[in-house]
Amino acid sequence: MSAVSIRNASKVFNLGKSNQVDALRNVSLDVKPGEFVSLIGPSGCGKSTLLRLIANLLEPTNGDVVVNDKPAAQARLDQDYGMAFQQAGLFEWRTVRKNIELPLELKGWDKNARALRANEMLQLVQLPEFGDHYPWQLSGGMQQRIAIARALAAHPPLLLMDEPFGALDEMTREYMQGELLRICAATGTTVVFVTHSIPEAVYLSNRVVVMSPRPGRITKVVDVSLGGERNEDTRNRTAFFEAITAVREGLRGMHAAHVGLGNDDR
Amino acid sequence: MFVAALALVVVIWETYKALGPADGGTLLGVRILPRTSEYAMPHVWDMFSRFNRPEVRGSDRSVFDAVLAGAWYSFRLSAAGFVMGGVVGVGLAVLMARFKLVQRGVLPYLVVSQTVPLIALAPLVVSWGGKLEVGPFVWPRWLSASVLGAFLAFFPIAVGTLRGLAAASAASVELMQSYAASWTKTLFKLRFPTAVPYMVPAFRLGASASVIGVVVAEISTGLRGGIGRLIIEYAREATGDPAKVYTAIFGAAALGLTMAGVVIAVDVFVMRNRPKESVS
Amino acid sequence: MNRVGNLLRTTLGNALPAIVFGALFLGFWEWAVRFFELKPYFLTAPSAIWEQFTSNFTLIRGAATVSGTNALIGLLAGTVLGVAMSFVLSRFGFLNQLITPLAVALNAVPIFVLVAVLNNMYSITSEIPRRIMVALVVYFIVLVNVARGLTQVSPTHVELMRSYAASDVAILRKVRIPNAIPFLFVSLKIAAPAAVITAFVSEYFGGSQNGLGSRISSNIANSKNAAAWAYVLAACLLGLLFYLFSVVMESLNRKGEVK
Repeated sequence: MSAVSIRNASKVFNLGKSNQVDALRNVSLDVKPGEFVSLIGPSGCGKSTLLRLIANLLEPTNGDVVVNDKPAAQARLDQDYGMAFQQAGLFEWRTVRKNIELPLELKGWDKNARALRANEMLQLVQLPEFGDHYPWQLSGGMQQRIAIARALAAHPPLLLMDEPFGALDEMTREYMQGELLRICAATGTTVVFVTHSIPEAVYLSNRVVVMSPRPGRITKVVDVSLGGERNEDTRNRTAFFEAITAVREGLRGMHAAHVGLGNDDR
Repeated sequence: MFVAALALVVVIWETYKALGPADGGTLLGVRILPRTSEYAMPHVWDMFSRFNRPEVRGSDRSVFDAVLAGAWYSFRLSAAGFVMGGVVGVGLAVLMARFKLVQRGVLPYLVVSQTVPLIALAPLVVSWGGKLEVGPFVWPRWLSASVLGAFLAFFPIAVGTLRGLAAASAASVELMQSYAASWTKTLFKLRFPTAVPYMVPAFRLGASASVIGVVVAEISTGLRGGIGRLIIEYAREATGDPAKVYTAIFGAAALGLTMAGVVIAVDVFVMRNRPKESVS
Repeated sequence: MNRVGNLLRTTLGNALPAIVFGALFLGFWEWAVRFFELKPYFLTAPSAIWEQFTSNFTLIRGAATVSGTNALIGLLAGTVLGVAMSFVLSRFGFLNQLITPLAVALNAVPIFVLVAVLNNMYSITSEIPRRIMVALVVYFIVLVNVARGLTQVSPTHVELMRSYAASDVAILRKVRIPNAIPFLFVSLKIAAPAAVITAFVSEYFGGSQNGLGSRISSNIANSKNAAAWAYVLAACLLGLLFYLFSVVMESLNRKGEVK
């Protein structure tokens, strides 16, 4: 059983017009339940597009996307996933608590159940004192933690993240990575994570999926064998650097091929 | 600061009165300088003292009471017009946000209408008073003034609200889509709250527009009871009683400021929890 | 050439719903008046309005000229005075603090009622009160906007000029004025229609009866509603004309800019 199963999915934008873009071509991927998978690649490789196919915010031109053993559209209607973006995207007119409750309101939960769950999530991301603050009173990192709390509020089995730490500084980023792993271990959530950063992908994931642009496709999948337990020392271990090298080579190999062919349609 | 500004205006007024020619004068050959005689330009303190004295020789009512009553009457008409215009304006904005076709068809006219003197319609609308009948309902004359106010208020409110409704970030809209939220749910949970900072200046414009509409309607037809008519009446009596018309003008100013004050108070309340940034 | 064709097609495509809507609206209006046999004192049919407009055209044009002249003179005077005063404001910052709250408060107030007193200051046939009123309204609009343009310059630009040991006048010429020019044209786009509206409304206060506003009132009073609507149409066209004028001025200014 897969949490996410993608079979030969393709996505073409502006089909037939002069500005047609082959965002994805024949992408296949299986994500096991509880697994942490990163999508990495240069700009335009289609990783965000692929994420949105899983989220059913876009429909594939060809192929199938199955989430939680259902068609992606059904999974979205059933709210089987939570999503986090680069901009925390909290509603500035709602308190932190009410922001977390948003997906629960839309699912029709009653007031008490919502309040209970919101408190639970605030505890999970270790920001219990900030429930009644407003988002603009929080730092960028804190806002992202609330965004993650919101994404997990309904306890979905799947978490989709589109470069959520991209706007944060390096120290906060490393801290957030640790927090994310802790939270996912506690909840057993499957995660598909889009990123630009090689160390981030390696630190967080069980597998790193390397993608290449135009047309977007998967060129390499790197198994990261760092073992289950990851902490601050993990970033110093040899296995960490080896995995980074493997990913970098995957990216570079495709980059070299790109340059070698003299493609200037970047 | 504001008080200082008013003081400056008073100083300029009195200075000119002291220095200027009593019968008006010419500047570069054009008869442009106003007269400074008592009847044309009363002293500022005369204007204020006029408030206390009786409205008409021998009457019990002081000018202050008369002006207050007139201003209050016009205020109620403006408020009614503002509410009507607001409801229609917001409703139309929602319709335009929902149906792109309606937006493309109607919005250009809304935008252009703000550059056109729609108050030209004032005499027409007011003339419906007393003549128009729908079943047992006879159109009262005061309703014309409110309708005109509503008509003028509705344009900026509709345009501003639409802008606000369209201002939700793409990421937020995607978020709501990921929740499989319906258009209506998205409207109430995302678009309206996002629109509030845009609706605030639009409603302020609408408030002053409804005041203008009501006052113009009153003036163009001498609607009884309102401040507009008082201004016209007092202006006619200016030969014998020059300071009186100014009292009515102060009344009109107070009307406008009160209306604006109410809207601003609501604004502040509605935006109380928002970060302090402005939307232009 | 294909690009021009495409451009035309998209513009037309964008404008089409509006054109269709406008046509439908007029058509419905005409039909409703005929079908419901609406009395002229309520609504006049577009066809009747047009007929009156064309048959009275000379009179209408005359009245429009009177109102339009008032608006134009007031617009020019108010703009010149507003720009001049804005220089003073930018030089003496504290005056800015004084004048701006006054201008903001005046926005909320129907200041055109001042025409009542202005009429008393001049002879009864003079058009001057109206022109002064328009000038006053335009003055505040232009003043606030241009003053903002002169003062709200990028601090980086000012720092740069100071590093060149530039005098205040040089900063004015090279940084503040260029910054303020777009503000001037934006304020014109607001002030021009406001000038027409003010010129118009001023006519309701008595005094000379030659303008469009007075004509509308008198026609209504004589139950000649179709003629009144024709004057309303003229008023709208006049307002549009002024607005287009300000838009053209703005685009002429833009021509020199790099897009």
